[in-house]
Amino acid sequence: MEVERNKRMRIDVDKLPMKRLLAIDEIGNEQFPPEKSNEEQRLSAIHRIDFSLVVEKEKEKEKEEKDKELSKSKDGQQQQQPWQGLMENLRQAQHELSVILDLISTVEANDSVAVALMQRPKPLPNEALADFAVSAATKVQRLRHLGRYFKQCSKTMEQQVSKEARFYGSLIRLQQNWKVKRQRMGISEGFTFDLFDSRSLSGADSTVLTRPSPMSTIIIDQDAFGMLAIQLPQKSCRTLCLKFLGDDSSTCRIKNNTSEKNASSSGSDIAQPPSVKEILSDEDVSGCIGTTHSILRDIHRSLFEEKVFEMVNREAFNNQSSQGINVTGMRQDFLQLVIGQDSSLCLSLVLSEPEGEYKENGKDGSYNEDSSESGSSSALAPILLPTDDKNPTRSFSKLALSSKLVLSLQIYLLSIFHQETLSRAKEGHSSCGSLLAHFCMSVAHRVFSNKVLSILENLVSRVSYIELVSHPTWHSRTSSWSLRLKVPEASSVFDGGYQKQTKRSQFLTKVVIKDGQISLRGQSSATIVASFAGDATEPHSINTYTCDLEDLPMLILHQVASQVIQWLHEEALVVGMKTSRDLLCLNVDLEQGDTLSLMARVDPDDASACISWALAIPAVTDDAVNFSFYQTDSDNPGLKFLGSLSLESLYSALMDLANFCGNGAVC
Amino acid sequence: MSVLGSHGQSSSLQRLHYVEKRIVRLLELAGVAMDELGNASAPKTEVLASHCRDFMMAIKEIQTMLREEIRSTCEYRPFEKCDYNSRISNEIYCKKLEHIIEQLDAMQQNIDQCSNSI
Repeated sequence: MEVERNKRMRIDVDKLPMKRLLAIDEIGNEQFPPEKSNEEQRLSAIHRIDFSLVVEKEKEKEKEEKDKELSKSKDGQQQQQPWQGLMENLRQAQHELSVILDLISTVEANDSVAVALMQRPKPLPNEALADFAVSAATKVQRLRHLGRYFKQCSKTMEQQVSKEARFYGSLIRLQQNWKVKRQRMGISEGFTFDLFDSRSLSGADSTVLTRPSPMSTIIIDQDAFGMLAIQLPQKSCRTLCLKFLGDDSSTCRIKNNTSEKNASSSGSDIAQPPSVKEILSDEDVSGCIGTTHSILRDIHRSLFEEKVFEMVNREAFNNQSSQGINVTGMRQDFLQLVIGQDSSLCLSLVLSEPEGEYKENGKDGSYNEDSSESGSSSALAPILLPTDDKNPTRSFSKLALSSKLVLSLQIYLLSIFHQETLSRAKEGHSSCGSLLAHFCMSVAHRVFSNKVLSILENLVSRVSYIELVSHPTWHSRTSSWSLRLKVPEASSVFDGGYQKQTKRSQFLTKVVIKDGQISLRGQSSATIVASFAGDATEPHSINTYTCDLEDLPMLILHQVASQVIQWLHEEALVVGMKTSRDLLCLNVDLEQGDTLSLMARVDPDDASACISWALAIPAVTDDAVNFSFYQTDSDNPGLKFLGSLSLESLYSALMDLANFCGNGAVC
Repeated sequence: MSVLGSHGQSSSLQRLHYVEKRIVRLLELAGVAMDELGNASAPKTEVLASHCRDFMMAIKEIQTMLREEIRSTCEYRPFEKCDYNSRISNEIYCKKLEHIIEQLDAMQQNIDQCSNSI
């Protein structure tokens, strides 16, 4: 290498050529840089020569030239000073840059460099303050932003919390009474009310397997304010309705929650302006829960009634040949049966109108047949006494079959089928016999017993000394009444109070109806006198017989009249008269050997007096013994009609006779 | 929410609702603290300290309550004792009672009418 004389020669000695690693990876493989050819090696050697000093010298020469030029310029020194400052700064900057470049190149050449000093340029004071102010302001802004964000979050969270609290609180309260199911799969996750009663089915009886109707699952919704709302399918709530053919009265009663139903069924707007939403109080929530609860009750009840109708249909279809069930009509939701001989029973499922009101009904109890709403005014009408111009028994029985009785029959039907489902749930199939047949017989019985009751009431209203007493039998096919004949207390006292205690004060005639069969039991009394006469073994003599409906009035009147005769007979014996008695006749032996007869005359069709009395006075002639009931006064002067008498007047008449007898009678 | 247990104690739902309300208050508190920090004038340290203290207390309270509730949760048994049958019984009894009441009212009316006419 050629060397100039003034300059020292510098010799760079290359280090030993070491193989320097390029990279090493995880496994431990070493990567060496690719082998360089000779040309490359020479080039890299040339790169390592430091030309910086040379470059700097050249730069300095340039600067000197520039300075000379500047100083030659004709501008004032003021311009030169800032320029000079600038130049000074630039020079310093250049020096720094060169040092840095040197540093970089040395490091590139894999030499280690010791950094002696690094000096930051001193920041200007206003710069520092500006920086600080900007950072502080940004921080403050960010903090405020955070604060607003937190507050906003808390507000929305509060709304959300109260909304959820309303919903879940309502749900928990309803869940105490109704089965709540949760659907997690599917598109929408939500809750439903399940009204299907799986326990009422028994596994053993596969023929009765019922599927849950689509109405038994009710979807729960939330409205905008978190209030629980249920989706109610419109017009699908049905109830069981029982009525007699030809009877216009409808007995389907629906609980009247209708006014509040609109509040929580979906599809109808909740009439609350959005500004009221903060004022949703606990009462509102409770009201909503109550409404939902009553709606669920209605649906549950209608499901049960539908089930009962289905069971009835099944029994009617299966057991048609068995006694008691005669199906005359069958439609979609309608079943018609024949009860007894003349009445027809209709069982149907009717829709309950969701928007119904109480309808005022006329006094005759006629309703609009299409609507199934019914008011309660006709049920409160008192039972009319059978003084109609028509045939009293028939029209009265028709009236008595309206609303009240049919309703009770309806309830009875539901109740027996419910008992059936209960017993089925507990054990297997446990109903003995057909429920529907039993029900039909019960209905027939009720119809019949109403007729009997009307007859009895008729009689009792016309005879003043009989009372009608009803006895509960607690069986749907048995009815029982008593006709009580109250006899007046004798005013005369014999042997102290001794005889008063033993005197019976009433006579009972019991009427028992079982399934359309009337049985009559007439009670005769027993007194001490009778027992002294030797009948001690049979203190009561009871006449029991069955009869038909047509014969009933006559028989009852017979019975009552004979009881009165018996009473008079006993009173006469107490007084000491010699009397004997026939069926409806009291014979008093008179002094002269004559016999005075007091006869009872029974006429059920007589409007004013059912039991009338006649006195047969012994005539002077011989043919006084022959009496005839139906001879008038003029025909037989011996027969005196007394008409209907009260018991007191009969008694006083008897006492008068006792005076007349004078056979040692004590008056 | 007025769902009280049988002995007047708060129900689990009520307690959880209370916890939720506390969390809301907590967020509010955090917001207020941030505002205080971001006050244009210097944030007052005592106020800030009190806020932070309240915050930590609230967190502690929430934590204890939640822990208790989680420990005492039981599995949700979906209505195992289904009493729909007895519910129907009650409905039927209800109907019977209404019917009887109506009949008694009718009797009362009859009596009144009779006594009035006397």
